[in-house]
Amino acid sequence: MSSSSSLLFSINNEGKVYALSTSGSCWREFMYLGLEFKTLSAVPHFLWAVGGDRQIYLHVHGLEIPIRVKEESFENERWLPLEGFSGRLLPTDRYHFSSQDGTKDRSIDRIRLPSMAWQWEGDWQLELTLDGQPLDHDGWSYAVDFPAQFSTVKQWKSCVRRRKWIRYRKFSAMNSWCAIAPLHKDPTQEPFIDVSIGGNDIPYALPGSLSVWSITAHGRVMCRSGVSTTSPEGLKWINVSIPPNCDIKQISVGPTGLVWALLWHGRAIVRKGITKDCTTGDGWLEVKSPNETKLSSVSVGYNAVWAVSSDARVWFRKGIDGTLAGSSEVAAMGNGWLEITGNMIHISVGRNDQVFAIGETDKSIYWRSGITPSELTGKRWRMVQANMQLSRTSSTASVMSSASNPKHHSLNTLNETGPELKSNIKLNNSWEESHSAPIEHTLPVKSAKERRSKGNAHVEHVDMTGKSYETTLKNPRAWSPVRSVGSVVGMEAQPDSDSSVFDVDSGMYFDEEVSQTAWGTCDTTWTFVDAGACCVDTVQIPHWFTDNQNAHNSDLSTKWRIQILESLKNRNQGYNIDLSNYGIAIEEKGWTRSCESRLINANNTGEDCILSLYWHALENIGTLSVFQPDGTIKFILNLGEVTSVFTSSEPGCPRVTLIVPRQLKDGIKVQFISEMEQEEWLCVLVDITSQINTLSGKPSPNSLWAITNSGDIINWDPKAAKLNADNNGLYTKEFQVFGKDILSGFSTNLSSSFPPGSTLKVVGSLNDNIKRFHINLQGPEIKKQRHKIEVEVTDIPLHFNVRFDESIVVCNTKIFGNWGCEERHELPLTPGQEFSIKIICQEQGFKVTVNEKSYCFFEHRLNPETITTVSVKGPLKLFSMEYSTNSIIIDPEEMVWRVMGGYLRKVECCQNGIVWGISHDHRAWVYTGGWGGGGLKALSTKEGINSMTDTQTYCVYENQRWNPLTGYTSTGLPTDRYMWSDITGKHKRTREHTKLLSRHWHWISEWMIDYNTPGGVDSDGWQYATDFPAPYHGKKLFTDCVRRRRWYRKAQIVTEGPWYRAGGTALLDISLWNDGEETSVWAITLGGEAIYRTGVTANTPAGVHWEHVNSPQSFIAISTDNYLIWAVGRKGEIYYRENSCKENVAGISWRIIEAPKCNNNFNQKSVGAKSVSLTKHSAWVLLSNGVFAVRTEISADHCDGKQWKYLTECETTFKDVSVIEQEVWAVSSDGALHRRLGVSADSPAGNAWQLVHVGPIVHASARGSSLHST
Amino acid sequence: MANDREVLREIWDGKLPICFQLAQEEIMEIQQPDPFYVMVPRLSYFPLVTDKMKRHFLRFISQENADSEMWLDYNGQPLKWHYPIGFLYDLFCGNDPQLPWTLTVHFTKFPEDVILHCPNKDIVEAHYMSTVKEADVLKHRGQVMSTMQKKDHNQLWLGLQNDKFDQFWAINRRLMESHGDNEGFKHIPIRLYSDDGTCNQRLVSPKNGDGSRKNLNQMISELYPDKNDVKFRTHGVTLPLDTPLQWLSEHMSYPDNFLHLCLC
Repeated sequence: MSSSSSLLFSINNEGKVYALSTSGSCWREFMYLGLEFKTLSAVPHFLWAVGGDRQIYLHVHGLEIPIRVKEESFENERWLPLEGFSGRLLPTDRYHFSSQDGTKDRSIDRIRLPSMAWQWEGDWQLELTLDGQPLDHDGWSYAVDFPAQFSTVKQWKSCVRRRKWIRYRKFSAMNSWCAIAPLHKDPTQEPFIDVSIGGNDIPYALPGSLSVWSITAHGRVMCRSGVSTTSPEGLKWINVSIPPNCDIKQISVGPTGLVWALLWHGRAIVRKGITKDCTTGDGWLEVKSPNETKLSSVSVGYNAVWAVSSDARVWFRKGIDGTLAGSSEVAAMGNGWLEITGNMIHISVGRNDQVFAIGETDKSIYWRSGITPSELTGKRWRMVQANMQLSRTSSTASVMSSASNPKHHSLNTLNETGPELKSNIKLNNSWEESHSAPIEHTLPVKSAKERRSKGNAHVEHVDMTGKSYETTLKNPRAWSPVRSVGSVVGMEAQPDSDSSVFDVDSGMYFDEEVSQTAWGTCDTTWTFVDAGACCVDTVQIPHWFTDNQNAHNSDLSTKWRIQILESLKNRNQGYNIDLSNYGIAIEEKGWTRSCESRLINANNTGEDCILSLYWHALENIGTLSVFQPDGTIKFILNLGEVTSVFTSSEPGCPRVTLIVPRQLKDGIKVQFISEMEQEEWLCVLVDITSQINTLSGKPSPNSLWAITNSGDIINWDPKAAKLNADNNGLYTKEFQVFGKDILSGFSTNLSSSFPPGSTLKVVGSLNDNIKRFHINLQGPEIKKQRHKIEVEVTDIPLHFNVRFDESIVVCNTKIFGNWGCEERHELPLTPGQEFSIKIICQEQGFKVTVNEKSYCFFEHRLNPETITTVSVKGPLKLFSMEYSTNSIIIDPEEMVWRVMGGYLRKVECCQNGIVWGISHDHRAWVYTGGWGGGGLKALSTKEGINSMTDTQTYCVYENQRWNPLTGYTSTGLPTDRYMWSDITGKHKRTREHTKLLSRHWHWISEWMIDYNTPGGVDSDGWQYATDFPAPYHGKKLFTDCVRRRRWYRKAQIVTEGPWYRAGGTALLDISLWNDGEETSVWAITLGGEAIYRTGVTANTPAGVHWEHVNSPQSFIAISTDNYLIWAVGRKGEIYYRENSCKENVAGISWRIIEAPKCNNNFNQKSVGAKSVSLTKHSAWVLLSNGVFAVRTEISADHCDGKQWKYLTECETTFKDVSVIEQEVWAVSSDGALHRRLGVSADSPAGNAWQLVHVGPIVHASARGSSLHST
Repeated sequence: MANDREVLREIWDGKLPICFQLAQEEIMEIQQPDPFYVMVPRLSYFPLVTDKMKRHFLRFISQENADSEMWLDYNGQPLKWHYPIGFLYDLFCGNDPQLPWTLTVHFTKFPEDVILHCPNKDIVEAHYMSTVKEADVLKHRGQVMSTMQKKDHNQLWLGLQNDKFDQFWAINRRLMESHGDNEGFKHIPIRLYSDDGTCNQRLVSPKNGDGSRKNLNQMISELYPDKNDVKFRTHGVTLPLDTPLQWLSEHMSYPDNFLHLCLC
């Protein structure tokens, strides 16, 4: 059998057709065009199916050479004495236009295209050669009489002549569905219930023959005449009579043309006598079903017939011989049934007698492995676990013409073009319009909903989970589990955990900050599979089976392995050799690695590409090149510019994101063919980027930690930047200004502001015609709403304006948009001159030096710590701009984030390097100092990597509406809420369609009704409301028209990481603080109690045990800084702990703090707090609407601070914040990490945000940072 | 599937300290050349790791010999370059380890009847690839190598030549996958060597009659029914007798996909 790829077709429970290539590992959906399919049958390139409208459709695909048929017509003329050659022929002559032998009339005007699927190529033309010899221009060839030999030369005795007209017709409905004309004018009069194609291998038949049989709703069996590879639709249906009292329900045609049909009674009948000459056979034989069962599905192969009975048992028919089936009855009907273990509900035999079936319980597709020509029954069933390509169906944006366009969209060639084993089905994004194809029978003229409302009796309501009113999935994008929905009370109690865990009131926590990323529909449940076009190579089996990769390596702990490993490690020991004298034999060279993958765009569509990685360890260079599938370069990345690499997978879509701030704002998302490939590449990329940036092992204590949406833990270590400080502790940054346009103004962030000690040096050259230019040290742009929204810089602490037209230099300040008093100085420069200007910020003011000479001094009018930006504008060229200051300059393009390993929800650090984490299931972990684990196995430091697990809960809501006739049902839902949905009701979620994110996840429970849904439920788990978005309650009231029920299921990930468990108590939040001696760790338990950890030191980061603090209220968040402890209560109120000090860490009592006012124009309701982060003097409180309120002037005497400040200019909403000293870092709602600029003692709320990492990030902790060099 | 990365890594990283000395009779200079010390990977072949050493000794020999083929000997025994270095060491010094391994370098009197000529590295590559193919035939009836592309074959060789573990194993792991549906290879590619260097290559199946994994001990009783106390050495370690052959073949084969075991 050839090893090129072939296709397995299936229909899922929604009637959608999918194809799986033997050289790929993903199901690709046939574009859904509004038509569902009931059954289908395939041979290579030809697919016949019965649609939901019970009509027959044909799909021709994957042909590299189009189907072309040459139509011929011979125009005959006889010589008549008076007229010469004329078209008037003798009555006994052949037709004026005839076939070659003259027997058939081939009048040109009556030669039609066989169907709308064909198109003419050009017009009728003369064939101007005869047997290789050219004819004259009008193409006549001459003969004595018609049946005689024609020649090119007219002779005196030529009485007749003829010429050949030819025209080509092409089958142009490639890659699209064609409807086959129904039996009667009214298609609903006799619809079809089954169709089967086979006969592609009839012994001795002409190549290209095919055989198509079908069954109508009236029980008639039809054979399609004239089907071949050049005539895919055939000619017409021919009725084949069947024995009386046979109600036929299913039919199957094998490759040899052998036909088996199943009766509703469960028996089978076999058509005998099918040979190349008589493809319809000549009689029926009856085959009994196996004892006491009724057959429900049968499939015919070459030398095999398989069937499934109504009790889901699998049967193999012995004794089938395909080659002899036409002539021998026994070869056609076999001689007995053999039961095969397995419970299947549908079965199909493929091209080399390979067998596929659909499982009874899980409706997955199974392949029978071990089938060989000598062992036709095979050995065992293996589940096909191929991913679904979701993006194709979900994003209509990928289709160039919109989905509402009623013309055809189709898939291009499904075949791969090269012999690559691992290639995907090559699908280009261009959609080929099919020019013909019967429009009225096909799609997608009306939406499914409308069609049904026509009340067409033959359109069956397929009631799978009651989707009758559901339209096509509008945007069935992958969606994520509601992360860290807390453990259901009583389900995960740890023996030594808090007793409050058992508190009934603790309920489940919805972690709304975690954005819904990665869920997806699983391998949907299947109703039909056809392997007629599929040829599985038994030695090189397709990459559909992951069961052998899941096997955990139990050999790891065997004695022999341990002994071998020990011996290997101890070789070369015990010899006193000084190895320093020994060179290395092999010289380093670069290495490369390539793979095929997809680039995913912002709207979740993808394009195929080829990745190629090059890395040279010694030279420390790495590049990643991305090519189009045809080999042209898309772009090349220098790996030195990659600042962040982490996973961003969705189910079925293993992905890695690379952040390259210099090149692309949003990062590059790459999807790999398989999880193994993704993990290898992640590992390699993390390894290389870490080597390039010399990051390894344990990061420094001043690192920033963050968690991405995918649970990856990333770390930024300022150590590398710190090493760049010069002797004075000054950090310098060179801005890239060369060649920039200064005329219209150039500005750039000064990310560490411009406090005293900072310097700015600008070197450039003035244009000859310069009139004025200025250098501003200014604050951020503020949005002002006057007549329309404008942005303006309202505060400019230093405006340095050189005016050649007035021959002066003006220094001024702008405060709140108003200019102050000008200070004027003499002009130090001339036009056309090169210049250097240096501005030094001193305590009292700015000292300006021009061309190395001291120039002027400008006293501060505004606090220079409010400076966030430098701006230069004027007709000049800049050569360099250098900025120096005494704290680390945060430059997103230089900050390299390293994935550390593990899987968590939150991470908190403090300044001595102790790092704690909390997983989604609320368990506490402590960082070991290692690096690696999970996807980074290859990099793992030997120590410190432990296994980690985390549990997440998936929820779906079952929604129902009440109606007078039937009570609560799932019908009658408004169109915007799915019957099975997420909490909003807007996204479809079903239990069956829930897929786990990767092979590291597995289910640990079944779907269970949640009896703890907030709001309360009745004894069946339902909660009621008057209408959907209204408040839900457990007791049904008279006015309640809707109800819903929540189902949940738990999944667990098993991975590794540099973390170990710290205690058994489940935690909601944690906060660490350290000032060099004492480390305090405060946390909130799942039950809302405040606790602190004793004995935490750098050597014992996990501490000793938890101590309780009396907490009359329930808390949800906590923060501590130097014995200041603030906590947020469940209802959003804020407390501080009184009198906590070194001697009495626990403090005395909780006091409430006045709530911040919320300037919410729309809603005067006060908005509660969600979380808090403390510094010594201020507290940043995140309110539940994503807005910040900053409590200032906190001190030992005033633990609650004095007043609230709000970030008025800020429109972004946030979901997490972490502050320390004067660093404020926050995660915006869209997942980007920001840093607050302009934070100073006078202005604790700062004045602008600086984007540092585009994310997606869910949580960050900056509490270890001390970016100031003091 | 060869997924015990720790063991694979140890095998890959195995290195031997070698001390090369120029044969006394070939030294043409008055000054004695320093011995050349180098760490060589056990998995590699001598022609791949001797470039630097050759350059080091070139100036000490007579010019007319500069172009002739270099060969090595240990204790008078010429070393067959087409065996992996680690295996040669195990064969000659397995029972009596001596580190550094001191070898003598010759440029004349090539022992035509003992070892093959190796004019360039391509010969080594050709020999290597043919051994890999032979192993594949034993394991998978040759199916895996024949469906691989040329670029994959190249990656295998380059990975070995340049000491690139990931590059090599990206391809090699396909050769370590089980045959068809069975859990295991069809036959184990294994060569057993006795003290005198004679090689015994037999068809060995990774499974016992009852389908269980065959281990070393069982193979020994099959092949050497008369001998007691048979032990095998490879990669410098003595193998525990209960090690399964399938695991051994997946993890402790040399890059040419064969297990080279020395009787000890």
